[in-house]
Amino acid sequence: MRTKLKLEERIKRNSALTALLLVVVAALTLEATSLIQYYYSEKGIKEEASRRAESQLENTRLKIEGVLDQVEAVIRSNIRLTQWGFDHLDSLDMITSIIVRDNPVVSGSTVALVPGYNRKRPKFAPYSFRDPGTGEILSRSLATEEYDYPSKEWFTKAIETDAGYWSEPYIDVGGGEIMMTTYSIPVRDGKGQVAAVLTADISLDWLTSYVGGNKVYPEAFNMVISRKGEIIVCPVETLVMNKTVQEASKDFGDQERVGTVIRSMMSGESGVMEIRGKSSSNNHVYFAPVERTGWSMSIVIPDSEIFGEIKKTRRLVELLQIFGLLMLVTILGFAAKSQNEYKNLSEKKEKMENELNIARSIQMSMIPKTFPPFPERDDLDISAVIVPAKEVGGDLYDYFIRDGKLYFCIGDVSGKGVPAALVMAVTRSLFHSVATHEHTSAHIVNTMNKSMAEMNDSNMFVTFFCGILNLEDGLLDFCNAGHNAPVIISGAKKELELIPNLPLGIMEDFVFKSQKAVLKDDDALFLYTDGLTEAENIHQDLFGEERMMDVLSTRRDSVGHLKAMAKAVTRFVGDAPRSDDLTMLFIHYIKSEPGVLKRHLVIKNDIGQISRLEKFISGIAASKNLDEALATNINLALEEAVTNSVMYAYPEGTEGEIEIKARVDDNEIEFILSDNGIEFDPTARPEPDITASAELRPIGGLGIFLVKNIMDSVTYRREDGTNNLIMIKKLK
Amino acid sequence: MEVKINKNEDVTTVRLIGRLDTPASQEVGKELTPLQENAAGTIILDCEELSYISSSGLRIFLSLRKAAAVKGGKVIVRSINDSIRNVFMMTGFLNLFEVE
Repeated sequence: MRTKLKLEERIKRNSALTALLLVVVAALTLEATSLIQYYYSEKGIKEEASRRAESQLENTRLKIEGVLDQVEAVIRSNIRLTQWGFDHLDSLDMITSIIVRDNPVVSGSTVALVPGYNRKRPKFAPYSFRDPGTGEILSRSLATEEYDYPSKEWFTKAIETDAGYWSEPYIDVGGGEIMMTTYSIPVRDGKGQVAAVLTADISLDWLTSYVGGNKVYPEAFNMVISRKGEIIVCPVETLVMNKTVQEASKDFGDQERVGTVIRSMMSGESGVMEIRGKSSSNNHVYFAPVERTGWSMSIVIPDSEIFGEIKKTRRLVELLQIFGLLMLVTILGFAAKSQNEYKNLSEKKEKMENELNIARSIQMSMIPKTFPPFPERDDLDISAVIVPAKEVGGDLYDYFIRDGKLYFCIGDVSGKGVPAALVMAVTRSLFHSVATHEHTSAHIVNTMNKSMAEMNDSNMFVTFFCGILNLEDGLLDFCNAGHNAPVIISGAKKELELIPNLPLGIMEDFVFKSQKAVLKDDDALFLYTDGLTEAENIHQDLFGEERMMDVLSTRRDSVGHLKAMAKAVTRFVGDAPRSDDLTMLFIHYIKSEPGVLKRHLVIKNDIGQISRLEKFISGIAASKNLDEALATNINLALEEAVTNSVMYAYPEGTEGEIEIKARVDDNEIEFILSDNGIEFDPTARPEPDITASAELRPIGGLGIFLVKNIMDSVTYRREDGTNNLIMIKKLK
Repeated sequence: MEVKINKNEDVTTVRLIGRLDTPASQEVGKELTPLQENAAGTIILDCEELSYISSSGLRIFLSLRKAAAVKGGKVIVRSINDSIRNVFMMTGFLNLFEVE
């Protein structure tokens, strides 16, 4: 029991572990799946973001280059005209105004002479521009004290580099406060001397609207900075032309990274960098240069923007996973709980059932169960059965042969359950020990009663019938203690008459008296407990003695009787629960005579069973030393008679039994063939003409003819609804 | 019970092995009924290994014999033991068959 408990503990622990393991594995699997999925999604999204950012940068670059190309082309195409103008200085403002007028992209233009180039006009710079308000082309001179054009970047750089130069963007003060950049190019005169710088101003408004309006992600941050780091385009307008990118990004997270990015940008590189920004949010910075102007375009995309959707999805997935796992845990918890409850319940039930089963098996081990119990005896055919109820009862039977006498008993302990089983065990033991040295049934019963009444603290009692059958003469000595009267089957059936008595264990000094009866050859005794007659169907009707007697009226051997009775009860009870054990004991007495062999066989009305006759006859032949030819003939005759019964006694489809009794003495062998079928006298059938030709002979009719031919006497008797065919073969 | 049928042109030999009791006859009858078609020729019932026959077995023999009578063939019963010979005698079968 301890090891069993341990085992159960272990099973319980194991199932908890299994559940835990299940949850963990499920969680891990879910997490791994989502991680893998997330990893690949992230990768894809990152690639997608790069693609989008890079193509945006490229588009912007192309757009800018397009505008710059256009401006540069305008300037280049006016170099010759400008050169001509060097000799017609008063016409220079005409040239600049034409440049502005003909090229909407150009908002202003100047030809600024190198100071001292013209002695008459040491500084000369006519400037034409489009009035932002009216669109009119106006002209003025830049050669003023306060402007001092030769010091301006657009001038100096062009001279210095001797090439086209794009200025740093600037705000055109007085010109509509718009952001501008200027392309300037040195122009040589006919002698190859740098005479002037020709310029074209362009507004960068288009850049702001183009770059600012093309966002790869709503929250993306498009920016263009100048080669000096001046912010040209940026969503934060206060920074534009006001702060350098270095100043503006002072508060922007990881300064080291920011510095690296800015350096890379300002040295005209392109690439992508990750920067941890403020509030530890990550940003991807994509950047690319506009080489001509030294600008750097960049797109800053917060990771929340790139991975926002996927992160949202992931959070949802995680929530779902957690929810799923919680559900799993809950379900497992419920399952485990209900399993435990069920287990506890079923353990209790099982324990009880186990105890009852043990009680039952102890009980059953105490009663003889081998049938036939005395295979060496041909004077006794005994069968017994306990059909157990759901609950353990206290029925018992027992028998044994001592000194040529059959000692037998049947009993029923009051009550049910384990106590009844214990009393039953005690009763049976008492019977066995008392009956081995007592010689009359009354002595046995009285001794048992005394012992049981003495130790009966629990007020239990036992109804008990005890018999001693002298197998030699059939004298039956019996004593009843409150039990149902057994049925004696002797041609007719009747209950044994009993004198008044009490069950065992009630009155210690009650005197039980023996009674006598005689069993004739072939008589039988049927003993039973009230589980038979008191078997109830669902309408609370009792099986009763009448039904019992009905079943007993058919000829059967002992096993057949008990089977038929059990079947009848089962059919009667139907679905009603069987509340009591049903115990039956059937004793068929075949009086032995000196030198007489008696054999008994019961078969069903089934052709296949006819094969059993061979063994039956060979057994008799061996016992009586009959010669083989005779045995074969007898076998044939018996087979023919039995076949006749099998075929014709019972209506087709109904089950019936055929009993064969053989009696062999030195002079003759006698078979009595009995069935409870339709009245039929085979001896009355006409004999076939055995001399007829093959053509005329009927196919059948030979069976009974053979019986009559082989046997010396064949007679038919109808008795008590039974067909009896008596066949005798003389042996001498 | 076992039956071995061997056909050789118009001679059909049937070896009957075992006990031809009532249950066995039910089976054997089914096996031998088709032989009635061959009854124009010779049917040899080899009973060398047949130990026992009941009336239901005799019926099978007689059925074959009747078919032979109709079709002009013959049925030869070969090597019957004493007890079967006794049964044949009792039932007049000795006159119906060629018993070898």
